[in-house]
Amino acid sequence: MSTKQPVLELKNVDIGYNDALVNNVVAQVLPGEIIAVLGPSGIGKTTLIRTIAGLVEPLQGDIMLHTKKKGGLGYIPQRLGLVRHASVRHNVALGAKASISFSKTMFEERRNRVDEAVKALGIEDKLKEPVRRLSGGQLRRVATARALAQRPQLLLADEFLSELDHQNVEIVIEAVQKLLEDGTSIIMVEHHEENVRLFATRIWVIKDNQLHDYSLEEWEQSVEEEE
Amino acid sequence: MRGGWIIAIFSLLLLAWVVLNDLVDDWGRLEGGMNNLVIFIEESMWPPNWSVLEAQSYPVCENDIELFCSVGYLGMMETIKIAFVSTMLGFIGALCLSSLAARNLVPLYVALPFRFILAATRSLPSLIWAILFVIIIGFGPLAGVLAMTFYTVGYLGKLQYEAFEGMPSDCLEVSRAMGLSHSSTVVSVVIPETGNHLLSQLMFMFEYNVRHGTVIGIVGAGGIGYYITTYLKFLQYDKVLALLIIIFVVVVVIDLLSLMIRSFVTDEGDVRRPTWLKGMIKLWKKRGTSTDVE
Repeated sequence: MSTKQPVLELKNVDIGYNDALVNNVVAQVLPGEIIAVLGPSGIGKTTLIRTIAGLVEPLQGDIMLHTKKKGGLGYIPQRLGLVRHASVRHNVALGAKASISFSKTMFEERRNRVDEAVKALGIEDKLKEPVRRLSGGQLRRVATARALAQRPQLLLADEFLSELDHQNVEIVIEAVQKLLEDGTSIIMVEHHEENVRLFATRIWVIKDNQLHDYSLEEWEQSVEEEE
Repeated sequence: MRGGWIIAIFSLLLLAWVVLNDLVDDWGRLEGGMNNLVIFIEESMWPPNWSVLEAQSYPVCENDIELFCSVGYLGMMETIKIAFVSTMLGFIGALCLSSLAARNLVPLYVALPFRFILAATRSLPSLIWAILFVIIIGFGPLAGVLAMTFYTVGYLGKLQYEAFEGMPSDCLEVSRAMGLSHSSTVVSVVIPETGNHLLSQLMFMFEYNVRHGTVIGIVGAGGIGYYITTYLKFLQYDKVLALLIIIFVVVVVIDLLSLMIRSFVTDEGDVRRPTWLKGMIKLWKKRGTSTDVE
């Protein structure tokens, strides 16, 4: 058992809107972990993410988020949640704004974080471009840059690697490494098994209204057994 | 299903006809009505009297260009100024209130009182506000500015919170999850995302206030309406017509301005379309080429 303080704890949580989609979830997330949430469509993966983000009330149980700093929770929804009519800079700066407290140097700090994030995602030439003019892949990179500028302790990402080609997946993963080095944990909904193998350290599989918590090796083994 | 719709629309039209028939006691009044209008226009209104664009005899005009001392120009400018100031003040006031009245930004128990305040300011027409402010602070443009500001807050506030409630929920959810404050969410997410609607509403309200400047002028709250009332009192309908044409031209110009300004924030602005002149030249060249072939 690790001695690290978990960043998230789920205690006997029932998740769903009216009826529970996932029952009695007991899980915790440690700093630096990358958890991939797997399961067929409509099983409750997005609802789980939204519940952890505080957007949906759990039907039962406790969700304890141990993020200490301002803007400690980052979120990239399926539809990315970008401000369409604003520029790339504005959108990325939102992340920095959420996490930097009021101080004399806050504007400079915000600017530095934005510059750093867009550079890491290779979209520095798009800074002034309105988001509505970007392609699907570029939009995903902007949403990732927003999370990067925020530097959250826990990042919730709903299919943020989908619609990206192999090269862009690598760019995004390389950029997110910086967050991981700082101890950020990631919970991501993912459909592509190759991305899971490339990226995740633990797997949550939702099956038969239950959340099954696997290590990468255990999951590989269960996939082989199923085949 | 389609037949049901037709029957429903037909029934409503029939109901409207029955109600109208109940309201009108004497249809005979319509007889010769159009002739009266034609006589009125021919004898009293037409042609418009453009002397309203000439300098007034008093006060003495000190400007080289006579137009700048005319009733039409001075009245219209005062109306535009009143409309501009009240639209801007009302827009800011409405933004503050509407961000607290939108159901997707605040809980219901916060939204309801602010909706009530907006409904209250909106339910009094600008004319009544103008009468109230003329009583409080006397005749003049300030009464007009205050009257229109209050009405603008109520009217724009409703349009704004409806625009906020119609915006995509995902960006609001992101800002909520990230822990952005209410004011940061409004300033950094809601206003940029609904900017196109807000601009459109702002321009509409400015145009509305310019048009209504004529009405509030009637009760002494300044602007071109004051001159219209004066000419109506002296039965100078040709001058009234000239002033109405001036208002119409200003409203059309504002509409064109609105179209231009909104193109900067809409997807339409992203598409580079040829101007009408380039289009005409292209068409002319094409025509020339096809004639040559013939």
